[in-house]
Amino acid sequence: MIKYLKEYRFYIILFLFLLIPVITIDTSTRAPRDYRFYDRVIVTLTAPVQITISWLFDQTVSGFQNYIYLWNTRRDNIALLDENRRLLNAIASLRESEQENIRLKKLLQFEEKFNLDSIVARVVAKDVSTDFRAIRINRGERSGVKKNMAVITNEGIVGRVLRTTAHTADVVTILDLLSAVDAIVERSRARGVVEGLTDDTCQLRYALRTDDIQIGDILVSGALGGVFPKGIPIGVVSKVERKPYGITQAVDVRPSVDFSRLEEVMVITRAGSDVFPVDPFAGGSELIMAPPVPASATKTKGAPQ
Amino acid sequence: MTRIILRALNGPGLILLTAFGVAVQTSLFGRWPLSYFQPDVVLILVLWCAFQRGFLEGGVLTFLFAEIAEIHSSVPQGTFFISYMSVYLLVRGAAQLLVIRDLSSYVTVAVCSSVFFKLANVTILQLLAPTLEVWRNMIYLLFLGAAVEGLAAFWVFRWLEQYDLRTFRAKRNGESADEEDFQLQSEGF
Repeated sequence: MIKYLKEYRFYIILFLFLLIPVITIDTSTRAPRDYRFYDRVIVTLTAPVQITISWLFDQTVSGFQNYIYLWNTRRDNIALLDENRRLLNAIASLRESEQENIRLKKLLQFEEKFNLDSIVARVVAKDVSTDFRAIRINRGERSGVKKNMAVITNEGIVGRVLRTTAHTADVVTILDLLSAVDAIVERSRARGVVEGLTDDTCQLRYALRTDDIQIGDILVSGALGGVFPKGIPIGVVSKVERKPYGITQAVDVRPSVDFSRLEEVMVITRAGSDVFPVDPFAGGSELIMAPPVPASATKTKGAPQ
Repeated sequence: MTRIILRALNGPGLILLTAFGVAVQTSLFGRWPLSYFQPDVVLILVLWCAFQRGFLEGGVLTFLFAEIAEIHSSVPQGTFFISYMSVYLLVRGAAQLLVIRDLSSYVTVAVCSSVFFKLANVTILQLLAPTLEVWRNMIYLLFLGAAVEGLAAFWVFRWLEQYDLRTFRAKRNGESADEEDFQLQSEGF
């Protein structure tokens, strides 16, 4: 027997090699079998290798993407920064337009409230001297702006047109030393003339010492002088100094218009049914509807009489 | 003594190397786009056994390698047993007829075996569950897979040669050359 086994050893082994796979093949289930003990040993050996290789592969790919692809990221970043800059500019422009829109809307409401006809103008320059506080607007004679027209905003009186060119006009603000505006204290109806004093303060002159003026009182324009429509806000009383002697009292007024942020103004061409005179001091007095006051109260300082 | 121990560890070491190779194959080459260039490590080792091991030892190792491959696959049980054993027996038979003695011939056999293995595999799968998709998929990657197999075999055979040398399973090159010279002289050349 052993002799035959040795003699036909090769064929026996060959037969086994062919037989074993045929036996093991499981054609009935055709499904992956469960792990046996030695399968689990092999998997225990190979799984860490697989996990490690996968981790290394992921790290390598991730590193490649994070570092090598940074070239693209840098280029993209530059493009995005440019786009971001453009968008920021666009946003700033839109915000500017929005703010402008709000301001213009307020001006329009103001115009409707006081039944005014006006020309909207933009402030393009300020006075070259710090002692005077005139501004230049981008509307002139071609737009219908004429000398001595009132210039206001929705917040109140800005000033009056001092001189004009075809396309621009210089406006004397109420802060200017040359300015004088007939004013009424809204609460007590006391009268005076508002004149420029500093960059942010005016003074109410010619107010009688006996007049009832208190801090916080609102001053509005009177009709005297014929430049400004009646009732336009001028400012708020910020200081009252009443001495025990004398005829008048010293009253400081904080303008209602924030001149530091002044951008658009309205040049009033017509108030209500009253057409403003081109030069109220040169023959337009018939249009002044308010009762006459002392000449000193309506005098515009420095203006031709 | 060391030589005996290392020689005894050659077989288990080869099994571990196969397991490691399969782990690398399934993890690294399982990812796109490397999956298209996935070599069959087990096939290369089966070929190595066919070339460098005895009939019985090589056959047993082939079974073990097929087992390792099946553990890492959802293939029906026994499919790889048949496929790898077919390759093993075919190569051993071819070695009786053809001169397969250097690395280039090994690589050539590896390329041909890759094609045969896939055909055998798909044939078995077709017998188990006839689907056209299996054939189509196999044909797509048949020759690319064979080329990759040849390339991988070139390196793996060299590493296995070194492994056998270090575990004293193979004779040193010098001894081998002397033996060849002696053989040639004895044959009258």
